Amino acid sequence: MKEIMKELDRLSKQRVSELQKAKKSGKLVIQYTGNFIPEEMIKAAGAEPYLMCRGGEPEPPDAVLEDMLRFMNPLARSMAGFNELGLDPVTPISDLIVMQQTDCHVGRISELFEFQELPVWKIGVPSEWKKEIAFEYYVRSLEKFKEKLEEMTGNPLDKEVFKNELEKTNKLHEALRKIDSLRKKENPPIGLTEFIRLNHYSFTVDKDIMTEKLNELYDKLKDAPGKFNENSPKILFCGRALAIGDYTVPRLLEESGGVIVSDFMDEGIRPYRNDYTINEDPLLSFAKTAYLERPPINIFQPAWEDRFEYMKGLIKDYDVDGVVWYQLSFDEIYDMEYTVLAKWMGELNIPIIKMESSYEYSREAMGPLTTRIESFVESLKGAYENE
Amino acid sequence: MNKEINIELLKLAGFEGSELDAFLPDWLMAVEKVGLTDDDIEYAATEYIPKNWDVQYRGVRKMIGAYFREMVEAAKTTQYKAEGKKIIYGILPAVATIYNAMKVSAGDDLYVSFPDLMLVTILNGFFDKADPFLYEAEEKGFTYGCRHCPLNKMRVGAYTKGLIAIPDVIWSWGFNCDEGPKTDEMIKHLLNEDWNYVVSRIPHDTYYGESDDEIEERVQYLGKVLKEGLDEIEEITGIKISEENFKKAMDENNRLAFKIGQLVGLVCKADPLPMGGNALTQFQQVLTVPFNSGTGYMEEAIDIMTKEVREAIKEKKGVLPEGAPRIGSYFVPFCIPWVDRMFRENGVGTTFSQTLTPSSKQLKAPRYKDNMYLATAEQWLKMPLGQNMGYEVASMVEKVNAYQPDGMLMGFFDFDRWLGAHQKMAAKLVEEETGVPHYYMESDFWDDRDYSEEALRTRIESVSQILKMKKEMAAV
Repeated sequence: MKEIMKELDRLSKQRVSELQKAKKSGKLVIQYTGNFIPEEMIKAAGAEPYLMCRGGEPEPPDAVLEDMLRFMNPLARSMAGFNELGLDPVTPISDLIVMQQTDCHVGRISELFEFQELPVWKIGVPSEWKKEIAFEYYVRSLEKFKEKLEEMTGNPLDKEVFKNELEKTNKLHEALRKIDSLRKKENPPIGLTEFIRLNHYSFTVDKDIMTEKLNELYDKLKDAPGKFNENSPKILFCGRALAIGDYTVPRLLEESGGVIVSDFMDEGIRPYRNDYTINEDPLLSFAKTAYLERPPINIFQPAWEDRFEYMKGLIKDYDVDGVVWYQLSFDEIYDMEYTVLAKWMGELNIPIIKMESSYEYSREAMGPLTTRIESFVESLKGAYENE
Repeated sequence: MNKEINIELLKLAGFEGSELDAFLPDWLMAVEKVGLTDDDIEYAATEYIPKNWDVQYRGVRKMIGAYFREMVEAAKTTQYKAEGKKIIYGILPAVATIYNAMKVSAGDDLYVSFPDLMLVTILNGFFDKADPFLYEAEEKGFTYGCRHCPLNKMRVGAYTKGLIAIPDVIWSWGFNCDEGPKTDEMIKHLLNEDWNYVVSRIPHDTYYGESDDEIEERVQYLGKVLKEGLDEIEEITGIKISEENFKKAMDENNRLAFKIGQLVGLVCKADPLPMGGNALTQFQQVLTVPFNSGTGYMEEAIDIMTKEVREAIKEKKGVLPEGAPRIGSYFVPFCIPWVDRMFRENGVGTTFSQTLTPSSKQLKAPRYKDNMYLATAEQWLKMPLGQNMGYEVASMVEKVNAYQPDGMLMGFFDFDRWLGAHQKMAAKLVEEETGVPHYYMESDFWDDRDYSEEALRTRIESVSQILKMKKEMAAV
């Protein structure tokens, strides 16, 4: 596994220089956020997509405080913060920054970009996902984006390429699902520490190569011995996002004797459990899957009951012993969902813990964090042994 | 319960004679239900209100009285529920017209208001006593450290403490923030599965400087969203708003807006400053919140206030000497009224609020007066605080230029990821455009538990000092 991970890491790191070259050759570089913006459509327009989702470092969120409220979540602040610190090589060369307008955190950060006179495009994602007019609004928003791409490139968007790209994504999802299925083993050969990285690489490495590498990895791992100690407690990891670069908490959990067998996050990870049902209109295919077929994101309304049902399914399928709710600091709606979720999990006798992160992983912060993680894992082990 | 001290308080709030006698039993019931002690009432009557509000004016006292009526109304919701009356709640920010139209349609068979807002406004603004409800909500799971909105906490706290009844439905406008509507989902799953809510939202996806109300597609969409919301409410409550009743509510709103605009204009342009921003902003709130007891009491207060302000101007009477510097606000924090007082103690007067002072565009005749959904959509989309930052900044510039304050106070919305997040940027932009200095203070409009008088004193003193120096230098 190490060799493949190393190779993917190398390929992933090349992405920035590829973008710089593409830019020089006249191609458009388009950054986007979240899972409601089709990177496949950006590709079909002949532009280069790049996911904006870096985090896990304490300085970028603080770098925007001159212009931004400090009670915004650190991922949203990082989006602008890396650029503010000159640590973001892509934003300065981006022809467009496309941002899904799902909540106020990202909404106001989009305005910070506008304030900095960066080229922003907004995709409206209404939260009332069960209402027909809301879906129509989202579709219309994607259509406007398509028109914008066509205007920027001067060419009509190639539907066939768009469909092709969606098919490629489906294959990538399938490869990720195969690897994910190995996490159902009594002692899995892979944890979230690697699985999240694979997801992150998949945003930057060429999709065909990535799929090939994932299949190769699956072949290597399918009969491999477990990576963890026998009878390690199994954990479901949930929350908004594990950003690219934010690996500390899953690493600590797995180093402390837990094994993260499943995940449920709204951003920063491929929605690999749902394929696109591709029909004649690829835009509509994307919209339906993204908006209606996947489990609703936290901000959608109503959502929490559906999300809990979904989590219950994961808990059963992956034989989960406990849930870690990974929350970004000051992310108020996730904080509220946790309160409700803790009640429901309590009714099911499933242990749950909230781990909050401000991306502050200094020596002083790591001590208490490690203690909490170790205590939680130990308590799960205790329960496991009692069974 | 000490009746005398309550009578003293009600007299301070403009009640007298038979009106006071008739109101007293309900008031005493509400006081008990809210949990105000004799000491609390005495503190409000003898210290907190006289110190922080311009009670030398009958208009201000009457305005306080109008709010007291709403405390009683909120406390009576459980009684109303038992009597079979319909109960509809809403949340801030909203356009009050459509809620007022519900009241016009259903009359006394309906309670309609935003009880969380009313209770925080009244309890913290006049008694400094909303804390028990906020702590209650925090115990129930609205975690203290995450900086949640005190209004949403109040909704949870007031319900779990039995102060307010479960509504037939709450119409949650999530056109600004995410937390308001999500609070209802939380209450439903955490406290009572019968908590009915209808959510209406629109994404924040217009661009800097676009005029949201001029984007036809947006007006039409929002009109549909509002219609769907109202249809659901009608289905739940059986209350239907006719176009005629909507027009009545609209006319009332326009009349009040005109009167309030006149009062704000008089106050902000007078020197010496006849009254402070706390009361001025409280008068304006009637345009954005339905009063279940009707707008009549507030209208009476506004009329009296306007007359008194005219007299004060004529007599050159003010709350500060002539020529004293004045500071406008994003939103004068009337729920922590000591901010206004502290500025005044330092020789600076507070004046208008950006948020509640209508822009010239808001005062223009509506384009869609014959369709209540589109008219409401248009009203909302003209409300600068709900739209993109460029749109809001343009209206802020207009108001700063119109009222010429010596400085502007920003902040006080640290719990709000929409209204609080952009203020530092907006301050820079408006300052650049108008030359009027803007000062940002991180604080909480509704709740001073985290930002005490002592915590803000130094900052307020410094800002006041700077404003005075600037004013003196300009005079040389």
